[in-house]
Amino acid sequence: MNIPATTAFSGFTSISTPPAKSFLPPPNNEKLAIAVDDWRIYTTHNPILNSVELDKVTESIGIPMPEMIFGNNGFRLLHEPSGWEITFDALNAVDGVDKTGDRDGLLKVSCSQDWLKSRQKRELESKISGVVKPFDWTYSVAYSGNVTPSPNNTNQISFEVTEERIPIDKLKRPDPILFFDNMILYEDELSDNGSSVLDIKIRVMPERLLLLCRFFLRIDGVLFRIRDSRTYIEFKTGEVIREFQTQEATYESLRKKIPSYVEDYGVYLRDPNWVSQHIPIQSVMCEKAIIT
Amino acid sequence: MEIDPDVQMEDVVESQHLGLTEEDDLSDVSHDDYRATSMIPATAGVIAELSSQSRNQLDDWITRLTDCQPLSEDDVGRLCDMAKEVLQFEQNVQPVQAPVTICGDVHGQFHDLMELFKIGGPCPDTNYLFMGDYVDRGYYSVETVSYLVAMKVRYPNRLTILRGNHESRQITQVYGFYDECLRKYGNANVWKLFTDLFDYFPITALVENQIFCLHGGLSPMIETIDNIRELDRFQEVPHDGPMCDLLWSDPDDRGGWGMSPRGAGFTFGQDISEQFNHRNNLSLISRAHQLVMEGFSWSHEKQVVTIFSAPNYCYRCGNQAAIMEVDENLSNSFLQYDPCPRPGEPSVSRRTPDYFL
Ligand SMILES: [Mn+2]
Repeated sequence: MNIPATTAFSGFTSISTPPAKSFLPPPNNEKLAIAVDDWRIYTTHNPILNSVELDKVTESIGIPMPEMIFGNNGFRLLHEPSGWEITFDALNAVDGVDKTGDRDGLLKVSCSQDWLKSRQKRELESKISGVVKPFDWTYSVAYSGNVTPSPNNTNQISFEVTEERIPIDKLKRPDPILFFDNMILYEDELSDNGSSVLDIKIRVMPERLLLLCRFFLRIDGVLFRIRDSRTYIEFKTGEVIREFQTQEATYESLRKKIPSYVEDYGVYLRDPNWVSQHIPIQSVMCEKAIIT
Repeated sequence: MEIDPDVQMEDVVESQHLGLTEEDDLSDVSHDDYRATSMIPATAGVIAELSSQSRNQLDDWITRLTDCQPLSEDDVGRLCDMAKEVLQFEQNVQPVQAPVTICGDVHGQFHDLMELFKIGGPCPDTNYLFMGDYVDRGYYSVETVSYLVAMKVRYPNRLTILRGNHESRQITQVYGFYDECLRKYGNANVWKLFTDLFDYFPITALVENQIFCLHGGLSPMIETIDNIRELDRFQEVPHDGPMCDLLWSDPDDRGGWGMSPRGAGFTFGQDISEQFNHRNNLSLISRAHQLVMEGFSWSHEKQVVTIFSAPNYCYRCGNQAAIMEVDENLSNSFLQYDPCPRPGEPSVSRRTPDYFL
């Protein structure tokens, strides 16, 4: 294998949640999914973008969009008394992809070396204009949502890095789930060289909620990458904890963890949950704020 | 395109001569006499006629498959043997006559395939040309490919099935067909039978010498249709080279030949499509391979059309599917359709609450 073990990824120094940009007119079918305590959870479910919308956002974002782009989908978590909100949507997420390949470097599919070699041999280069506009075709992002500061609150809410972690014990309790939803923001099959998916799960219990926004990347024969961003809200205290975690491993190292008697190993490697439990964690960081 | 009014007549006469059955009268007989650049060897027209026993057998299988019941492993073996007999005589550039309805990716969405035949008209009354990707991703790859292959053997002249990049040993091991075979048969024999058969599928088709049909797109190593006729297609889809490109490449807004940032795979621009169509006297390149929200999409000033026939792709995209009807005068029209909801299939997405962390 001629691929470096992992890319030179040094972790993130802060969790980035810039204000949301508007790429398309807001969809008109946003639903209030649940109101609990001071919080309102809104969801929007729509099909992938149509070709008119697709042309528009491709131009404004500046890179080819993932094959399945749910550009009119999203979640909005609103703290009603203060107006503070955090939103998650596909277009703001994909806007964070490295648009030139200069920032993160470009990965290659597993057959790339062979492919390039034989191309050169056949002296086709004169015909081929090369990679005209390189970008991170894996659509890797570190997406933790977009925060709109409270319009009616003079003290700016600021998140502080903390050693505290999301209280797993509280989340492990079998509290009733008042609301559950998941949605894909985008997905690309990397032209059958793997899979790149950004999706969101949310569950709301009587006293707290957890939202997981997961970027999952599998490049067949090359690597696995997971970037998880969790948003935890404790309703009574207004505590919001955001956690960002990165994981990465080579394809081979993970494949070796599948018991050798398993024939359909693809089932494991396609399952983000299995993968997330079996690849090393590169970095974790947490931030916290009290929303009042 | 001039249509010889006598062709139909000739067909009937010649078919009777060959002793073909009524259903098979249409496109089987080669037309070397009026097709200037025809490369069809005589054998192409003389597919051994099905015995009435085989016909009954096939009709039984088709009935079973129509109810989405997979065939037994032994029957799949028999079916694949029969299919090889038919497909080995097909061309790398299989000639197809109009009228024909051209379809894109199906990807194991069996119930939507049945919907397709409702929308487009039942086969064999309507002629169909499928541009590959029958397996993977959907939950019924086994039933889908068994059905299409059985129909192909039963009505060889009414149905053309091309090879897509998913009709490959390597890809099906990653994207679901292999796992589905293991699940449904308890072993990989059926997967082996079908993937061996895929090597026989034609890789392109040419409708009335005008509409060039294939799964992916053009290749910098292919300048003329005759270049394709020279390829040895009876093999696993290679990692590179012209056969790989035909099944994998994509049109792009950028001119010329582009290279994907992935480090493998080509894109071709409008200038390339124009040159290719001009050089080969074609009016249109019809291809599949890419998901499009409306089920079809023009590119390169209508030199290229992309057709995608899996509605609500992967049971979650909410896209429409489309098929392209080409009539006797080679004018085309599109039929779009929505998914056919079926109990037991996942709907929009998995929404079962879970205590994820
Ligand atoms: Mn394809």
